[in-house]
Amino acid sequence: MTTIRRFCCNDLLRFASVNLDHLTETFNMSFYMTYLARWPDYFHVAEGPGNRIMGYIMGKVEGQGESWHGHVTAVTVAPEYRRQQLAKKLMNLLEDISDNIDKAYFVDLFVRASNAPAIKMYEKLGYVIYRRVLRYYSGEEDGLDMRKALSRDVEKKSIIPLKRPITPDELEYD
Amino acid sequence: MASKLGLAGGIPERRVRVIWDAIDSRQYKNAFKHVTTLLTKHPNSPYALALKALVLERMGKPEEALSVCLNAKELLYANDSLLMDDLTLSTLQIVFQRLDHLDLATNCYEYACSKFPNSLELMMGLFNCYVREYSFVKQQQTAIKMYKLAGEERFLLWAVCSIQLQVLHDNGAEKLLLLAEGLLKKHITSHSLHEPEAVMAYIAILEKQSKFGDALEVLSGKLGSLLTIEVDKLRIQGRLLARAGDYGAAADIFKKILVSSPDDWECFLNYLACLLEDDGTWCEETVNDPVHPPKFVQCKVSHLTDEQFDSQISNASDFIQKLQDDIANDSMRCPYLASIEIERRKLLRGKGNDESLMDAIVNYFRRFGDLACFTSDVEMFCEVLTDDKKTELLKDLMKSSDALSTTPSKTLGRCITLFKIQQLLVGNMFKYSANELEDSCIQMSDMYCKNLPLSKGLDPQESMHGEELLSITCNVLVQLFWRSKNVGYLIEAIMVLEFGLAIRRYVSQYKILLLHLYSHFGALSVAYEWYKSLDVKNILMESVLHNILPQMLVSPLWSESNNLLKDYLKFMDDHFRESADLTFLAYRHSIYSKVIEFVQFKERLQQSSQYFVARVDTSILKLKQNANNIDEEEGVLESMKYGVQFLDLSNEIGSKSISFNEDLQLRPWWTPTSEKNYLLEEFEGTSYCHREVSIEEREKSFQREIEKKSLLPRMIYLSIQSASSSIKEHDEVNGSVSPKISSELKLLLDRYAKILGFSLSEAIEVVMGFSSGERTSVVSCSNLIDWLNFIVFLNAWSLSSHELVQPESNGSKPHIWNILDSLLEKYILEVVKSMEPHICSPWNDVQLLMQIVTEPLAWHGLVILSCLRSLQPSGKKKKKSGSADQSSSNLAHAITDSVQRLSNVLEEVRKWLREWSKRPVEENVDSILAPLRKNGQNDGPGQVYQIFETYISTVNEADVGDRIAQSLKCWSPAEVARKMVNGKVKVLAEFSTMCDSKIKLLQSIKQQIAQT
Repeated sequence: MTTIRRFCCNDLLRFASVNLDHLTETFNMSFYMTYLARWPDYFHVAEGPGNRIMGYIMGKVEGQGESWHGHVTAVTVAPEYRRQQLAKKLMNLLEDISDNIDKAYFVDLFVRASNAPAIKMYEKLGYVIYRRVLRYYSGEEDGLDMRKALSRDVEKKSIIPLKRPITPDELEYD
Repeated sequence: MASKLGLAGGIPERRVRVIWDAIDSRQYKNAFKHVTTLLTKHPNSPYALALKALVLERMGKPEEALSVCLNAKELLYANDSLLMDDLTLSTLQIVFQRLDHLDLATNCYEYACSKFPNSLELMMGLFNCYVREYSFVKQQQTAIKMYKLAGEERFLLWAVCSIQLQVLHDNGAEKLLLLAEGLLKKHITSHSLHEPEAVMAYIAILEKQSKFGDALEVLSGKLGSLLTIEVDKLRIQGRLLARAGDYGAAADIFKKILVSSPDDWECFLNYLACLLEDDGTWCEETVNDPVHPPKFVQCKVSHLTDEQFDSQISNASDFIQKLQDDIANDSMRCPYLASIEIERRKLLRGKGNDESLMDAIVNYFRRFGDLACFTSDVEMFCEVLTDDKKTELLKDLMKSSDALSTTPSKTLGRCITLFKIQQLLVGNMFKYSANELEDSCIQMSDMYCKNLPLSKGLDPQESMHGEELLSITCNVLVQLFWRSKNVGYLIEAIMVLEFGLAIRRYVSQYKILLLHLYSHFGALSVAYEWYKSLDVKNILMESVLHNILPQMLVSPLWSESNNLLKDYLKFMDDHFRESADLTFLAYRHSIYSKVIEFVQFKERLQQSSQYFVARVDTSILKLKQNANNIDEEEGVLESMKYGVQFLDLSNEIGSKSISFNEDLQLRPWWTPTSEKNYLLEEFEGTSYCHREVSIEEREKSFQREIEKKSLLPRMIYLSIQSASSSIKEHDEVNGSVSPKISSELKLLLDRYAKILGFSLSEAIEVVMGFSSGERTSVVSCSNLIDWLNFIVFLNAWSLSSHELVQPESNGSKPHIWNILDSLLEKYILEVVKSMEPHICSPWNDVQLLMQIVTEPLAWHGLVILSCLRSLQPSGKKKKKSGSADQSSSNLAHAITDSVQRLSNVLEEVRKWLREWSKRPVEENVDSILAPLRKNGQNDGPGQVYQIFETYISTVNEADVGDRIAQSLKCWSPAEVARKMVNGKVKVLAEFSTMCDSKIKLLQSIKQQIAQT
């Protein structure tokens, strides 16, 4: 039961039940506000009955030429609302916007290599592991760069896995 | 501009790049070297000077940086032929901003723009300056100039945003909306609009003027097609139609949204509101605090006739039925919840019946009863039922649950729901007997253990099945503790959560409950540790910090409190500093809706109640920390401008709007706000613990609290001054500042008394009444500290003022001073004598004791120190008159007497504290565990604890998997008990150190008096 709408600043004061989850990062203000000021259509919140925050997704669109793509920076759901496919709904929304409005070639995201449940979920949503980024998380844990091709990438070139892992400084975008 | 030609401020770019690189890599010394070389070649280049200023500022030399900047500014102004490029100005701007001189940066840009009125780049810089200063009018004027110059849509919209901001801040500015509308219309006629955000801004301008028809026209026309997210567009359309009163058309729009997204609950509510013509949903005045929207759907009694109502409700029912038939996705809750809402509306209208509503809830339970959100979904609907009906509903739910057979995890989910509903429906457990509550605890903990195998294959990062059972069990145990005052239940509640965290250490819900339990128990340092483990940072501090901060501030854990305050204030101040730049970013990216939002959000945070508290309390904490040394204390006071700033805050707080940004939903039932703790009150049967808090009430009591607290620094300062002039006053009045001090202190005493609910003379009467030794109903635990503070300041005032005629007391010591000493003695000893130093003793009295010693007694100590100082000969020794001699010796006696009494009482505290630390840890551990060990008893605390013990001893490793089995093996209640003991002892040890240093101070005063 979800009203999905644009995320707004006041939601930052209401998302504690979501962000107290240990895997959900609380970024600094300029990070959130930069996303809001640049990609407001990629930052959505799901609200349930009683005006409760159920979860949210934040992302952006960037890149040049064939690497013009949507990026999922964070997607998270409050414990109370898990196992209801809300993350899927939020991901689909971001994919739709990347695909239909911004005509991107693919959507990508980074996930901790140890976060098996999340990887499994992304795979179910059609993402494949495109490459491994060594010590991506605070110089310690590897990250996986997962991708899903959109309709513009007719031949699905964007998701052909890279053979070798890369280091964070080889990344094209932050 | 120059920089584009490979020149930066007239200097070849390669020469300055090294400087920027060094700055970026924080090699400031290196940067300084380069900039010095550059200046030898370009000694009068404002850009080179600006760079030097930047480096100096980064090196921590603000004064030098400012003077270099001013120099650069002068050069810019003086020489017309010099280049006035944005690079130089923006570099100066950075430095000026960091030095808190936004005005100087603005001056530079204003000057530059007047010199080069056609430079768009400079104007943009100027606009940015006004954004930083929040000067909306000047923003508007600059944007208009830019628009006239370049004719670009974005500049027009910058002006429109600036107008919107003016209107938000000043109701009188509404006529400006017409101007904005006119400008937009004109632009649209010649150029149309190209940005979706521009269209939204246009619609917002029209809507604000209630021109709904015009707004709808825009939306459905060519401009509307720029809004690419269809559902957003429909939502706006629905809202506009409803606000225009065209409910039929609005309902159709919302219906359309529901067909494409049947799970959109808000949309359903809007649809229903339109059908029933409930205009309350739409008028702007009813907009609630956006951070704390109501949990319940407010609805007015519809003005429709019965027939109309019936027909609309039947339309809604048919439509919802169709939605239910059409959806294939079984996780969609909205259409089913909608059936309940329809029944609720019927009931409110007097058309429905309880049974239909209950049936709808039971139906919903059949489908979604296993979900964790079931209870919060239906909470609002249960509100309309009577108590009897609620009990009936619970029975119905239980019955229907029996008939459902599904997977074990779903069955578990439904059982949890039933426990939660039970708590919710039957008035927070009040109707149950202690035995019934104990039984449910046993059932829940047993269920938790038995279902652990379900989580066998789960990743440790994932929530486990049945986790909620332990939080509910904890809630019930705390209820039992409240009723019986049997601390065993409290300990057991702690054990339950610790057990859960031993199995999976990430459950934040447990951690929050735990930190409140540990706080109540007195093991504050453990509470603090759990708080830290939540990793609360950035904006989360604003909504979560209230869980720990208030209890820390009255504790002796000063360094931890300091850390909390420092981190929080840094976050807030950083945000205030950078927020305008982010607003400008939104301008640049043409995201106009966010421009407005960012400004409003910054204001909301500036008005944050917690921010006010943190600022005042940081100062008070500093004063507490330095109270043993009068010179240092005076240094602290000087750094806070002798308390004048806080005085201003105290004067203004009553008229300020205040925002409350705490997420109170996170708090446990027994302490719904930080001001309330039911566990400190008597349990009175079936009373209901209110969770909903009235904002107005909070605002009022908060304002009073801040008004009072922010008087303290100034009153402390004045008290020190007043006490120090107590001798001189008798001696000579000429040239003394004391009449001023004394009259100001009197004024503040008057205000302080008012906050306590009295006039000054009444309050003095109350104080005089204390001497008779009778108990007075005026003073209670909650205002004791305030009264003691008042008497401390009153005493200081009376030392230099002749206004207060005091009855003669024992010889030389002023009467009020005597009263103060006796009161401090009395209240401290009362706690010490009434309470056994037992590990399980209640903590609130200890907390009060710690507060007396670290606050009023500390301030009183400063007054004494100040008196002492006035007794000591200063540089030029004046010949004292006979009366001055007399007053000196009286004062010396008074000090000696007071110091002796305070030393004695603190010695008692120390003795009492030693008793605590004397007991070996293991003995304390035993005391904690004792109430949990059952010896054949079948009631009281310890039953849940036994379930865990039995489970651990019988668990089959293969059933629960390695990880859980391992955690169960490591589970050690003794370890938890030890943590509780150490946590409490640590706080007491800190307090003990404070007492020690106070005693030392008093001893040194004694010695000094002996020498004078």
